[in-house]
Amino acid sequence: MKKLTALLLAVMMLLSLSSVALAEDITLDVIICQYGPNTNDWFLGTGMNGTNFVDKFEAENPGVKLNLEVVSWNDVYTEVSTRISNNNAPDILNIDVFANYANEGLLMPVKDYCPEELFNDFFPSFIDQSVIDGTVWAVPDLASARALYYNVDMFEEVGIEVPTTWAELEDACQAILDYYGGDIYPWGIDMTTDEGQAAFSYYTWNNGGGFVDENGEWALNSAKNVEAIEYAIGLVNKGFTNPNPATQTRYDLQDMFGAGKLAMVIAPNSLPTYIQEKESKVNCATAPIPHNEGCTSASQGVMDRIMAFKDDSADQAARNEAIGKFLTFFYDPENYVGWVSMEGFLPAVNSAVASLVEADPSFSAWLDVLAGCQFYPTAKAEWDQVKQGVIRAEQNALTGSSVQEQLDALQAELTK
Amino acid sequence: MSHSPKNEAAALKNRIGLIVCAAALALTVILLSLPMFELSASVYTKRSPNTFVGDEKYAAALAEAEAVAAGYPGASIEEAVTERVNSKGETTSLVVFSVMQSVRANAWRMLAALSGTGIAFWLALVIMLGCAVLAALLAAAGMRGTMAMEHRSLTPTPRALRTAACWLGLIALLCVPVLGMTFNYNFSRQIKLMTGGFETGNVSGVRLALEGLFFGGGTGDTDALLGALRIHTLWPLWALIPVLFAFLLGLILLRNGELKPALARGALYAAVIVLCVLILYPFYVMLITGFRSNAEATDMHFLHMMPTEWIWSNLPAIIDRGVLRFLGNSILLSAGATLIAMLCGIPAAYAMARMNFKGKKAFLGFVIMSQMFAPVVLLVGISQLMINIHLNDTIWGLMLINAAFNQAFAIWLLRGTFVSISSEMEQAACIDGCNTVSALIRILLPMAAPGIVTTLIFVFINAWNEYTISTVLISTPANKPITVGITQFSSFNMIEWNYLFASALLATIPVVILFMCIEKHLVSGLTSGGVKG
Amino acid sequence: MNNILVRHKWEPYLWILPSILLMAVFVVFPIGIVFKIAFSEVSKSGMVGGFVGLRNFVDAVNEPAFGTVMVNTFLWVVSVVGLSTLLGFIIAMLFNQPFRGRKLARSILVFPWAASLVIQASIWNYIIKFEYGNLNNVLLNLGIIREAINWRASYQIEFIWECGVGIFVTIPFVTFCVLSGLQSIDAAYYEAATVDGAGFWKKLSMITIPLVKPSLTVSTVLNIIYVFNSFPIIYTITKGAPANKTDTLVTYLYMLAFYDNKKGPATALSVIGFAILCVAAGAYMMLTMRKEDEL
Repeated sequence: MKKLTALLLAVMMLLSLSSVALAEDITLDVIICQYGPNTNDWFLGTGMNGTNFVDKFEAENPGVKLNLEVVSWNDVYTEVSTRISNNNAPDILNIDVFANYANEGLLMPVKDYCPEELFNDFFPSFIDQSVIDGTVWAVPDLASARALYYNVDMFEEVGIEVPTTWAELEDACQAILDYYGGDIYPWGIDMTTDEGQAAFSYYTWNNGGGFVDENGEWALNSAKNVEAIEYAIGLVNKGFTNPNPATQTRYDLQDMFGAGKLAMVIAPNSLPTYIQEKESKVNCATAPIPHNEGCTSASQGVMDRIMAFKDDSADQAARNEAIGKFLTFFYDPENYVGWVSMEGFLPAVNSAVASLVEADPSFSAWLDVLAGCQFYPTAKAEWDQVKQGVIRAEQNALTGSSVQEQLDALQAELTK
Repeated sequence: MSHSPKNEAAALKNRIGLIVCAAALALTVILLSLPMFELSASVYTKRSPNTFVGDEKYAAALAEAEAVAAGYPGASIEEAVTERVNSKGETTSLVVFSVMQSVRANAWRMLAALSGTGIAFWLALVIMLGCAVLAALLAAAGMRGTMAMEHRSLTPTPRALRTAACWLGLIALLCVPVLGMTFNYNFSRQIKLMTGGFETGNVSGVRLALEGLFFGGGTGDTDALLGALRIHTLWPLWALIPVLFAFLLGLILLRNGELKPALARGALYAAVIVLCVLILYPFYVMLITGFRSNAEATDMHFLHMMPTEWIWSNLPAIIDRGVLRFLGNSILLSAGATLIAMLCGIPAAYAMARMNFKGKKAFLGFVIMSQMFAPVVLLVGISQLMINIHLNDTIWGLMLINAAFNQAFAIWLLRGTFVSISSEMEQAACIDGCNTVSALIRILLPMAAPGIVTTLIFVFINAWNEYTISTVLISTPANKPITVGITQFSSFNMIEWNYLFASALLATIPVVILFMCIEKHLVSGLTSGGVKG
Repeated sequence: MNNILVRHKWEPYLWILPSILLMAVFVVFPIGIVFKIAFSEVSKSGMVGGFVGLRNFVDAVNEPAFGTVMVNTFLWVVSVVGLSTLLGFIIAMLFNQPFRGRKLARSILVFPWAASLVIQASIWNYIIKFEYGNLNNVLLNLGIIREAINWRASYQIEFIWECGVGIFVTIPFVTFCVLSGLQSIDAAYYEAATVDGAGFWKKLSMITIPLVKPSLTVSTVLNIIYVFNSFPIIYTITKGAPANKTDTLVTYLYMLAFYDNKKGPATALSVIGFAILCVAAGAYMMLTMRKEDEL
């Protein structure tokens, strides 16, 4: 027993010694995910106007050092879990998931380290996605959202306006179909096993429905959902869409759009880059996803997060302050806007939107989209089953089954 | 010269042959003079939205269409009106005017119009005509003075002449489908080149020819014409096939005096060629797509049978994405699985082939039962087991699974091989005091080498091609075998068909070569394994 | 007899031991696990609980797609095995004739056998794409068709394509099995039959078919097993879409287990699959055992 105490004492002394030594220099371990080929260069090389993120940060924030690693998406999960089990968790982690880390008590609440001003700058709908039991555990680092892309030249040639409601959408589809005599599909629908749940969300959310009700319970067979899916199936049956919605994936649709075979498609903001890589000459623009009369347009959002892990450092306040400095620097429009546009994603903070619109006025369309973003209820345990269930319901409906019966069966199975 | 009955029969056959040939040739000439190629173009389309019949926009559009039609001799104007009521209760109307012009040409006209361009279609036409005429001349020459001669006793010269006539007739016949295809292919390709701005060599020749056909030597808006050109072949072209086939039959009758053996032979070759083309088709697709650019692989208006440019840099690109690593994993996995399967399988097969023991049938039953359970059905169990013994997500785990699931096949093939080899020498060795182990190693294994190599390669290929277990068990990219590794090109950000197929090519070449190596032994291996099993 | 002397009674068992061990651990043990899960309660996160009797089986059979999937499995096995056996037999007859280039043609014939199924399925998936698929491209180029054809206009047609690909990759195995049978036939039989004035059909039904029958039986039974368990073709081309209407038992249970996270019903389906295959296994055993007795 004595020996153990002595050992503990010695360890504590060593620890305090080292914390004294680092009193003025706090080092933060940071893991950033590799979003693209230039991520590494931006953070560690010369991609940030000749300098890089780490150098610039350390120059502007004396006393805080960054030990920053850029890790590929393939390796990040194993890397993080190894480091956690070795008691060597990073201070700041950039990743998509957070719930498991929060539930295991590894994370610090965002309020502890995030400056108030910055916190209020995040889109509230995004922050809501990182809440467990009323506490915010992570902040969004960037986002991707879906919007309606349309072929500008085609719309001009046919002489129609971009549809905002479902009724207008049907008119536009009919006009395009008549004009091109069936050579061009007016509207793209993807109800494949890959991403059919996205189609479900595009139509139900824009009809005031959705996967869950206001209490967060599954509500798949609501009247609004049934109406929405019947509308989508109606578009297919009227010949307004690509011919094989059950097997043509979003990438097929994007290819068709790029080749000028499809007039409108709902796609993420990476679409222009995607079709340019395929040498497409299509002149495209975005608009909010059409909604039913009396509802507001809603888009599907996907986001990644930044979170801070607890550790047993002597001076928690100084460490929290350092993390705060990191976040402030990270989201400073001067740094953040360049990074987000380099990676081809959408920003998670309002201040960045302003700067992005300044640089490119067409970006303002994304403002509406981002404000109306909704997210899959991925935190619910039955999500996998629901995802497959709605896809199956859609595909059954495509082959003639009743939407109501399909969704009733799915709901019954979930509440069983 | 005596007239034996046999010679009279030969003379009759020759007369029939000559009549058939002459009739077929005459018919051919008639068919060639009928219009068989159609070039049509809707040279002008005016779609006028929000236009109602009789209003100002309508009149303007109609006037425009008429002005264009005046420039094309024999062009016609088509009008289509679509009226609809939209969701807001407004009536919309779309008026479409199109100016159509079409040219129908017979073979002679096309031959003249395209002479000097040297394109494949023109060459096919020339070759077909040349071969048919030459065949007729050679056959006539081969018949001179030998009309009543029995076919088996022909002298070399007329025989050679008639043989040559047959081959030429065959070529003429084969030229017909080639003609139909090149007609379409050439024009599509030339138009693509012209609209792409490549105005050289025979391309300008084709342009002149088209202008000649459409504008009667005058000038018109050739670019509008090219953009809308539609190409059809008409029935007289396809009617050439039976006619020239009859011509060929006549020639064969002249050459052999009978049709059946030559026809049977021809049918055999035709079937084999068609089969081989069908089998190679997906591999051709893999090859050409693997070396296209991604944009070209998904080009929806593509008109070439080969890549416009062979993108060899696809290979370094996929190597950059870890394909060599996957290949290495696959080699390790397959070699390991083969080794384990053989180390366990050879002794078992040896015992099955050479020893009598209680429970032999039970073991055989056990082996066969294990064959019933495909890994995919057991996936849930296998992944559970692998987690329990800490081999999930490793190549070693895959290796053992593959070895185990190939045991049945290995034992089946090896036992068959061993049974087919007489055991006399081993028995003698055993009496001399040699034990069973050295009898196996020294005597049986060398004799069974072909069978063992066959089994080895079989197991290797099965492990190499395995997909289902690997896809569930392996999640670390660095441990993926090639079959799973290549799916990163079809699921990550987009389907990169070119990379997918370039890596598929790398994964396929080794196994196809291995398989071709044992192809000789396949038949005997299966015989000994299956029939005597 | 072809047997050699063994010194000890236990010696043969030592020889088969490695093989038994390997299969026991990696084949029999997973079978055990699957059977255990099939009769156990499985939580959403995959935890295996207590014994629940036949509930997983009831759940599996009550899945709305169960009937369709069973019918598809039947159609899939019967059409692929039946047609590939018929075509393989015809091709083997063809390739048994002497002709120039036979060696090359045979080498080409092994291609679909050698190449990985998932790769071939990907190629065919690309070939029959409506918009940029190679089949339309080639046919348009050659002037055989005038407009691109939607080769996958409905799921029934897509299922036919999947069966076609299945047949395509199965034919070589049948062909080589039949060839091995054909080459063991003594030419004297045919000569005698020719002397007796027998025609092609007579020779086929009286000599060829009876003598090739053992090879055909083996290849057919093995093919039933392989085709029943075949996974990559359907998984790559349609993933069972729309709504499991092109799934077979094997792809369906994979989707249940790994997409829907319903491990209980999925393992129950595995057991049902065993039961079905055991009928085939029984038939195979009876055939081989009978031959064993004849030896």
